[in-house]
Amino acid sequence: MDQMNLILCAVAAATLDVCALVLIMSAYHERSTGDRRWNRMTSFMELADYNAAYPLGCDEILIGRHASADIRLPDLSVSRYHAILTVSDGIWTITDMGSKSGTFINGVPVKQAQLRENDIIKLGNRQLIFRRRRDANVR
Amino acid sequence: MKSIKRCQRIISLFIILFIGGMIALVVKIQREASFYMINSEETSLGMVYDRNGDVLFDGTGKGEYPDGHFIDVGNLIGDDKGQMENTLVANNIQKLNNYSFSTGLVSEDGKAAIYTTLDHAANRAVYDAFGYAEGCAVAYNYKTGEILVCTSLPSFDFTKGYDDIANFKSGTLISKNMYGTVPGSTQKVSTVIAALEIMGADKLYSKRYNCTGSYLNKSGDRIDCHNAYGHGTLDIQLAIENSCNPFFAQLIEDDDLPLGKLKKVYETLGYAVNGEDEEYIDINGIKCEKASTTLNDPYEFKTQWGCMGQGDTLVSPVQLMIWQSAIANETGKVTMPYLIDHVTNVSGKVKERAKTQTSDRLFSADTASSVKEMLLTNGQNNYSWSIGGYKVGVKSGTAQVFEGEQENSLLVGFVDDPSLPVAFCVLIEDKNNTYLTTENIVKVMLDSLNNDLNG
Amino acid sequence: MSGNTGSYIFSCLFVLLAHGGMLLNVFINGNYSSISQVIILAGAVLILDAAYFVAMPFFKQTTYTVDFLLILILNMSVIFQSCFGGVSLDVKHYITSIVALAACRGGYLVCRNHKWLGQQRKFFYIGIGVLMLAILLLTGSRSMWISLGSITIQPSEFIKPLFVLACATSITEQQKKHKILFFYVVYENLALFGLTAAICLLQWWCRDLGSLPTFVGIYACGFLLRICYPKAKFSKKKLIGAGAALLAAAVAGMRFAPAYVQDRLHVDIWSDKNGDGYQQSQALIAIAKGGWFGKGPGYGGLHKVFAHENDIVFATISEEWGLLYALMMIFAILILVAVPLVNPPRSYFHGTMAAGVCAAFTVQMALNIFGSCNMIPFTGVTIPFISSGGSSMLISGFMAGMLVACQSPTMRAPAVHNHERQQPQQPVFQQQRRPYP
Repeated sequence: MDQMNLILCAVAAATLDVCALVLIMSAYHERSTGDRRWNRMTSFMELADYNAAYPLGCDEILIGRHASADIRLPDLSVSRYHAILTVSDGIWTITDMGSKSGTFINGVPVKQAQLRENDIIKLGNRQLIFRRRRDANVR
Repeated sequence: MKSIKRCQRIISLFIILFIGGMIALVVKIQREASFYMINSEETSLGMVYDRNGDVLFDGTGKGEYPDGHFIDVGNLIGDDKGQMENTLVANNIQKLNNYSFSTGLVSEDGKAAIYTTLDHAANRAVYDAFGYAEGCAVAYNYKTGEILVCTSLPSFDFTKGYDDIANFKSGTLISKNMYGTVPGSTQKVSTVIAALEIMGADKLYSKRYNCTGSYLNKSGDRIDCHNAYGHGTLDIQLAIENSCNPFFAQLIEDDDLPLGKLKKVYETLGYAVNGEDEEYIDINGIKCEKASTTLNDPYEFKTQWGCMGQGDTLVSPVQLMIWQSAIANETGKVTMPYLIDHVTNVSGKVKERAKTQTSDRLFSADTASSVKEMLLTNGQNNYSWSIGGYKVGVKSGTAQVFEGEQENSLLVGFVDDPSLPVAFCVLIEDKNNTYLTTENIVKVMLDSLNNDLNG
Repeated sequence: MSGNTGSYIFSCLFVLLAHGGMLLNVFINGNYSSISQVIILAGAVLILDAAYFVAMPFFKQTTYTVDFLLILILNMSVIFQSCFGGVSLDVKHYITSIVALAACRGGYLVCRNHKWLGQQRKFFYIGIGVLMLAILLLTGSRSMWISLGSITIQPSEFIKPLFVLACATSITEQQKKHKILFFYVVYENLALFGLTAAICLLQWWCRDLGSLPTFVGIYACGFLLRICYPKAKFSKKKLIGAGAALLAAAVAGMRFAPAYVQDRLHVDIWSDKNGDGYQQSQALIAIAKGGWFGKGPGYGGLHKVFAHENDIVFATISEEWGLLYALMMIFAILILVAVPLVNPPRSYFHGTMAAGVCAAFTVQMALNIFGSCNMIPFTGVTIPFISSGGSSMLISGFMAGMLVACQSPTMRAPAVHNHERQQPQQPVFQQQRRPYP
């Protein structure tokens, strides 16, 4: 009886463990599904400048010089918190946050504007291009 | 993105803190589970053995033992009934329980046991030697700290239960070795140590005082000597051998022995002077009192008697004994006593093997050597016949208790022999009502120990 | 769930396997008088599992991990609770488990659109205000329970999810700063601080000191994420400042705590084994008796002690199932709150919400487990999902629903009420095209 008790407890514990493990694994599996869904919801867009691409991983993206900004542009002409990108219904919107040097879309100063593919965003001396992700078409 | 990362960091922080707490909890449960288990109604106690495997306590209650088998160490070992609190079993009961967190409570054939350092045969011999007298005797190996003998009378056989508790004599349920008693002239050893520390050996040996049987001290009180005719002019060696009170009274009044320094040495030795909080020696969970005294003014009657082992002075026999280790080892450091040699857990695995520990230096090695020489000379001159066959260094004492109505006899000392490194303290209460002497007890004890350890 | 069907079925099987293992243990080791008790229990658990698995795909979620963990934990707790002192289905706990599952669905539906939710902020404050008033007025003589006939509810439990929601914030909100004297502040942060202070005072007043640390924990999360947000990373000075303030508050709290709290803080449970320390000492003894592998379902002795099914439930489970199993149960709950680490939320609002839920759950578990094991003062807090109790189960379920929502958010503007877009919405190219420079 004692032996049996021990074995069964171990078995019950082991099945629970395995189950937990499987669920963690499925969480990782679902992560890729979630990523795909997110990309679809956000139209596979990304921001890029001449040397780097910035993925857009959540629905509010702060652009600025400050270290806590999601996209950090270390350039004195960029305000600490310069602009914020938001998405809803698959459409990205850029909102200027009272920056000193202003936000320009394709050369036009804006307070708030919907972004379209291949728009050039100018923040101070820095330029970013809003484009489709390179790997998105290959999928 | 960074904002999301911050949230994740917070979540990780909470989870890590919680997991840290859980780990602490599991460790705590692992360490304390035996203690929790002792507090439940279900226990399965094991055995306590002496150094030769003789049973001193049987937690199973199944063994058959001759009448009075446990009586000699009954009030030291104790039992699990809760009547005695300051005993080995009461303070180490979770080590005795056949329980471990991984095995659970094992009711049959558990191997949890405590192996003590006691020598049951020697304890028995000493106990028998006391006969109808009461008192206590304690002895330990001053090299290692193993307590070999620790008996206290009156005692009782706990297998017979506590139904008769109302008729127990006072002191039955405690081991007197652990409690303060009036040390009598054995206190003079401490005073000599203090004098040597303060003056140095040469100065002390050069001191001469006259004894005429009594001495009128500087505040006008009379200090009597036990020899009414007086000892004449004495040096320190003779004063020790004769235990001369006037000599010591004059020594304390001497300007070369300032009271402030004397107090300091006493405090270092472990005395609680003038009502300080008394400290305790911990012997495997058993609380053993140290010493206390009152020292106000070197010319005062009470202070002088305090330095000669009367007045307010109280010292436990164990403390008297362990000071001897610092002398016998000639180091000035006492060897700390212990009772438990090792413990086995429920599956028989040996845990907690005892280690010899020594205290900080209480007095200098030179002082220790000088005192050792004095005590050995005393032993050779006065005790070689009564404690024959052993090279002992001793100091006797007679303590007046109950306002002088009763006299207790004490003997502390050590054997200067590498094959029998034993320090001891023997106390016989009400010595005027018995023909028994402390030397008899010591002789019996040493014979028995010698037989057992070297035979 | 496109593409996840395989993983879904796989997860179902393993959840069933885990429950099966437990039921087998109950069947062979359990303390029951007739086999029918075990069959009823097994039937109830497995039917609930199956029903949930069938119902789940109708909610079109991106991920299902949290749901699987939830059903795993809930049915585990049904089995635990049914075994205390002899196997028989604990109908009340079974029903509250179903309620918790429903609340989880509700929580998901309410919270999945954070933009809509963000606009309802005033209702959180109103809700909390109403509940606080209810505590003030309806609970008799400074207690924390409102009794409605045979049902008693604990309003402070209901404040928890609302408070988590009130603490959740978006970056855009945090950028709306206003100047007061010399400081730029976000009004909402002030409002939240006031709310926290009010809740804490109320909890103190009605002596519900168990919930107090939970709220403080949630607020600490919100505070760190809100106030420390605009500064680079976590500003060390602010963190240390906040820590010091918290410590000072704790010390002050201990110094000036009412007498009955002082008693609790200083109680030595072993010297008062049959008085104030009874529950804790019995709990610890039970854990010691259980060992690693337990005495077997139904064979524990702790079910005779008051509050064995909620306040000291960890010890009760440890005794019957073993410490190992109890730890793994806690581990499962930890995985539940850790899922946002694997599959990150997509908005700051959901992120702060997940952190708040995590704080609420871990603080409650810590208070319960460490309290019952005498590491910290003993307070009557529940372990989410494991302890019995209607209010607690309902709210825990709702908060789990909030975690589900973090995993499967919808990103829609609040004004738009059309169906969720399945196809990628291409940016509109032809309209209002601005000329290139």
